[in-house]
Amino acid sequence: MKHCFSLLSPRHLLRGCLIAWILFLSACGPSTPSETTETGADNQAVVAPKETITIALIPKKKGLPYFTSCASGAEAAAQELGNVTLIYDGPTDGSPEKQASMIEQYALKGVDVIAVSPNDPDVVAPAMRKAREKGIHVIAWDADAVTDARSYFVNQSTAQAIAYGMVDTMVQDLGGPEIRAQVAIVTAYLTAANQNIWIKHMKTRMADTYPNLELVAIKPSDEDQKMAFKVTQDLMKAYPDIKGFFGISSVSFPGAAEAVKQAGQSGKVMVTGLATPNSMKAYVKDGTVKSVVLWNTAELGYLTVQVGAALAQGTLKAGETTFEAGKLGTKQIEGDHVLLGDILVFTKDNIDQYDF
Amino acid sequence: MDAFEEKTMKARLPSWLVTPESLLIGLSMAFWFIMGKLDHSFLQWEVQRELSTHIWETALMALPMTLIILTGGIDLSIGSIMSLSAVTAGLLHQAGWPMPMGCLAAMVVGMACGWLNGWFITRFKVHPLMITLASMAAFRGMAEGVSQARPLSGFPESFTRMGNDAWLGLPIAGWIFAGSLAMAVWIMHAHRLGRCIHAIGYNEQAARFSGLRVDRMLLGLYTLSGLSAAMAAILFMARRNTAKADIGAGVELGVITAVVMGGVSIFGGRGTLAGVCLGLFLIHETREFVSWHWSRDELNLLALGVLLILSVVFQQLLGHKRPS
Repeated sequence: MKHCFSLLSPRHLLRGCLIAWILFLSACGPSTPSETTETGADNQAVVAPKETITIALIPKKKGLPYFTSCASGAEAAAQELGNVTLIYDGPTDGSPEKQASMIEQYALKGVDVIAVSPNDPDVVAPAMRKAREKGIHVIAWDADAVTDARSYFVNQSTAQAIAYGMVDTMVQDLGGPEIRAQVAIVTAYLTAANQNIWIKHMKTRMADTYPNLELVAIKPSDEDQKMAFKVTQDLMKAYPDIKGFFGISSVSFPGAAEAVKQAGQSGKVMVTGLATPNSMKAYVKDGTVKSVVLWNTAELGYLTVQVGAALAQGTLKAGETTFEAGKLGTKQIEGDHVLLGDILVFTKDNIDQYDF
Repeated sequence: MDAFEEKTMKARLPSWLVTPESLLIGLSMAFWFIMGKLDHSFLQWEVQRELSTHIWETALMALPMTLIILTGGIDLSIGSIMSLSAVTAGLLHQAGWPMPMGCLAAMVVGMACGWLNGWFITRFKVHPLMITLASMAAFRGMAEGVSQARPLSGFPESFTRMGNDAWLGLPIAGWIFAGSLAMAVWIMHAHRLGRCIHAIGYNEQAARFSGLRVDRMLLGLYTLSGLSAAMAAILFMARRNTAKADIGAGVELGVITAVVMGGVSIFGGRGTLAGVCLGLFLIHETREFVSWHWSRDELNLLALGVLLILSVVFQQLLGHKRPS
């Protein structure tokens, strides 16, 4: 074990430190040129007072088609506004802890706006609060955060509208309110805040308006398509008379549809839920799925960037009830929720018009 | 063994240059140089200090892991012990216990879990890989069961401050790590335990026949590992103000990666704490810099993989192979 002690001998430590110091100094070297470029930028600013705004848009999980389509809308808004630099990054594994680390990084980097779709509101809340203390505008989009950790929430649609929309669509697909049927929900995680609020409203809608629908199970799929597939298969075995499945996340919906299709139940067992049209096109065309419920995701990303830019420029003030969102026109603000609007139902007739 | 190996490999290089540690120092400095060239703001002290909060928990758990791997063992259950300890403290806090008591209970739970691992390993002579693989699932299941997978949050501010405040320029978690490191260095270098750990790693049978109390030592090490996981859990709770059954999932991989990167032989017997610290530093800086500069999370795993392969290949080239 000689070598492990030899490293700790004073002479070698000294030599190592010296080399480290020289390299560190050379690493710090470029500070002089970067200063000159900074002053150059200042001079430019005097000529053309065009403030640039940096917006960090953080999705729940990077790489999901749903969020990629949001990002395309966000990119469009950034280009339209001209003075917005958009950073789109999120955890590829959907880890809330990593999301919190990213928020901390962007806060340190000094971006102007951080827009988060939190995976787990409680885990990211301290990081969001810390960013707010640094004077950064922190907003939530797609899924709400802990209310005091963000200024605004860009809400795709009210939870009630989405939940009622899904139940109404299911009833319509099944053949009307008189049909007696067992249905089940395949959700993302049992702890997912978004999904749980929808489920609450879906239960209310079924109890109040469609007493003929019987909700037999709510199963998590852990945001994993294979697991959604398996869960749906198990449910079909456990409830042979089941007539409908709600896949209420963009991952559980295709999983559930695939299970119904492989069981040869296309057209007999209805599947509806939330997903991007591209991921469901095949199922809509072969008849497994009659309707897909969603909002316009590109518009959601667009609106988020518009709200972020307005906050950074100080044009969106507390207490306002409407917001001018560029090409989207006027949007309502309810309290601190900026509302995108109604749901969008994709069917065989209109699904080809959308590409995301 | 060393003298022989050093003769057979590059005899021209001075011996202090061909250690895994000096290789890692070289790599770190090269990385720092590149980082400074690409994005100077990353090297600011404030940035470095704030970002360091992401590594202390892993670092803390890497210390006992180093000792365990030196004995030829491994502990895969630390992530699950982390979640079980966190859930314990969280539930006790909800039940109205004061926070220090909850933390103490969490540490007791952590140590009990570690002790249980050690007991099974020494009593039934099963490879630690299998025992801790099993307990990884069992402890996680327990954590999910008792907490019903609910997030537990709303800890008092005096507690969360521990996760966010700095003392003399270093986050509190950093001081805890520094203290633990000092203890580990003392164990390894000043205490005879250090030599025993190496001896077990080289040849457990021989160590036993030489009259070393191998079982007692292993039991102690696994208990220590459980304690470090509990402490990491407390630091995590203070930092993120939440305890949930899924915290610490996959953390064992990060810890083991850092230890292996630090030049510790996965077969036991060879490696240093200095190397592990450098490994931790290099992994942390790379990970943070990649997301700082490129803002692309997908590059992170790639960078980590490349780094690991680089260091392993270099170490192999330098002739640091497993003693046969």
